[in-house]
Amino acid sequence: MHKPILFCSILIVMFGIVGCGDQRILEKLGFTHTTSYDLLPNENNGTEDKLMISVSIPKADPDGPTKRETLTAVSTTSKTAKIMLSRKTELSLVSGQLRNTLFGLTLAQKGLWEHIDTLVRDPAISQRVKVTVVNGNAHDLLVKDYLPHPRTGKYIDRMLEKEGKAQTVPHITLFEFTRDLFDDGIDPVAPMIRSVNEDVVIDGIALFNEDRYITKINSDKLLIFSILRGNFKEGELSVDLKSEGEHVMLSSLVSKRKIKVQSSGHNQFSIDINISLKGSILEYIGNLHLSDEMDRKKLENSISEYIQIEMKDMVTKMQKSKVDSLGLGIRIRNSLSYSEWTNLVWKNIYPNIEVRCNVQTKIKDYGKFEK
Amino acid sequence: MKKVKERLAPFHITILIFMIQTGVVIFSLPRLLAQNFGYNGWLAIVIFTCISTFNIFLISLVHRLGKGISIFDILENSLPKFVAYTIYFVMISIWSMLGCIVAKQYVIVFQMIAFPTTHPMFFKALVDIIAYLLITKGIYNISKAATSFFWIVIWMVLLLTFFIHDFEWGNLTPYLFKGSTSFLKGGLDCYTAFLGYEIALLLIPFAENHKKFIKAVHIGNLITAITYLLVCFVCFGFFSFGQLTRLKYPLLDLLSFIKLPFIERLENLLYGFFLFTMLITIVMYCWSAIETLQRILPKVKANWLTVFVLGTTFLIAWIPDVIGKVEKWLQFLGYAEACVAFGLPTLILIILRIRKGH
Repeated sequence: MHKPILFCSILIVMFGIVGCGDQRILEKLGFTHTTSYDLLPNENNGTEDKLMISVSIPKADPDGPTKRETLTAVSTTSKTAKIMLSRKTELSLVSGQLRNTLFGLTLAQKGLWEHIDTLVRDPAISQRVKVTVVNGNAHDLLVKDYLPHPRTGKYIDRMLEKEGKAQTVPHITLFEFTRDLFDDGIDPVAPMIRSVNEDVVIDGIALFNEDRYITKINSDKLLIFSILRGNFKEGELSVDLKSEGEHVMLSSLVSKRKIKVQSSGHNQFSIDINISLKGSILEYIGNLHLSDEMDRKKLENSISEYIQIEMKDMVTKMQKSKVDSLGLGIRIRNSLSYSEWTNLVWKNIYPNIEVRCNVQTKIKDYGKFEK
Repeated sequence: MKKVKERLAPFHITILIFMIQTGVVIFSLPRLLAQNFGYNGWLAIVIFTCISTFNIFLISLVHRLGKGISIFDILENSLPKFVAYTIYFVMISIWSMLGCIVAKQYVIVFQMIAFPTTHPMFFKALVDIIAYLLITKGIYNISKAATSFFWIVIWMVLLLTFFIHDFEWGNLTPYLFKGSTSFLKGGLDCYTAFLGYEIALLLIPFAENHKKFIKAVHIGNLITAITYLLVCFVCFGFFSFGQLTRLKYPLLDLLSFIKLPFIERLENLLYGFFLFTMLITIVMYCWSAIETLQRILPKVKANWLTVFVLGTTFLIAWIPDVIGKVEKWLQFLGYAEACVAFGLPTLILIILRIRKGH
């Protein structure tokens, strides 16, 4: 009776020991936290473009002289670069803890898919790795130490995380980027950052056509873009009603988007983007009295009008650049039959469709002070 | 016939059927549906459920007309020994290899996540040892183990609630089965995910309550269908269609998206839980092969037959060494098993009909 059990136990232990072959010892691993990709200027008219790839590895040792290690290699593909990088360090480089990927602007203009493909193919890499575009050189931004903010990689990652929650930048990971890239009715977007003196700042939102960077939304219009892109809770919007010399700050914004599609004949579409906004006013500079209902209504209308104009400008800009970052194509697609949609070349029609933006603002409260 | 002390309750049969059906195909099923059935391919699950329900209806006829007698007795009493044994041989080959290749596929996918350079056959051997221990304990104990494994696995359906926030109705599109589709061949590939209920044919003599037996099989099949439907529906709404057609194992990607405040990359852990459903699939197919082999070699001890079947298939499993080959084998074995699922009850029904005529 005991014989088979003994036999099996020996076997299990034997095979268990074999499992020690693929060891991962924590102290000997270098957990890549952030990777940057840049396209090097084409020297000697060579046919192959060279990539400059840098990784930032946080160090676990609290008494060590540095808080992180950065490595750089120049190669043709990212995985080849990994081998070259590994030659420069005593740690085995692993990418299971990768949190952010930074792409330099020139590379983004050329197309990101082949690099993102490598990332989504690797089972060790999480789908929640962020995709970020750097306005300038990603390598320089990553290797630089920003004195007030130690560990550059973590600093950028946390900043993007926080800003994502505040709706100023969309939360774009490998999953979202790939989802939008392979959807025929929307184009991907990604947050854009830039190095300014001792800080890294959000520089805007990069808009892509397929996987190629085309244009960007400036940093002062970030919330308008968020309003256009979908529903959200918790945002802050600063409105300068220039003509009247007024300034309003809307906090705790809740925005809801509804899109209506109307088709008027052959490949003629008009789209209504209806936005309903609700928020609190915590700062107001101007002549109106917030406690007065009529004045509040007036203010609501002028805010709506301001946002409406901003939205219209933004949509026109996107249409001109042929980037459907709002996913209007999805709505058009879902309003058509399959054959109508497949016969339609969406990218050609997109610049010419009529988009109307309607905004309804409601001031939920105006703080704890009457006048 | 072997003397059976303990019999299977309908509840155990339901769970056993669910556990046999849920196998490795579930990881790629959403992609297979998207590739072969196009937009809203998840709805094809309803069609497959109807087909499997019809197949179970055939089994219920076997059960009713055969009056609960073992299918082996029916076959042996009506067919010449040579013919019966040839059929047995085919069944043994398909069942034992199917169980074996399911294990190999699970191991190969597991190695994409962990222990990539260890030889896959070591893991395969470990799975086989567990399978051996279960098989030798007999069907009643297997079903008890299946019931406890069931609770380890089924809670994972609740994880789908994580995707409510990121689920987008827009991804579903209003199109039904449009795009580049392949209903017949692709349909067969997808249908392999449902296979496993045909093992019920062998469970007939072990059933405790003959009236509720078929009902239990139907419920097991329905639980599988509902699980598949939920998983695939969420995949079609969570991923964009183009993305879904490109993901090798959408379910793994889905699981990898789950993030808890204290832990992320849960798929490594959750994939481990799937071993339990896989194990029951492997165990039950091998058990069926051994039961059949026992009819050819009644004098040999069942334990030795188990060693023989697991040992032989283990050696054969050495041949397909890369993922593409393993998938191809699994695909063809799936086709063969689909033929068995329909062919075997049909054959027995014909025999019963002829016997009744006589």
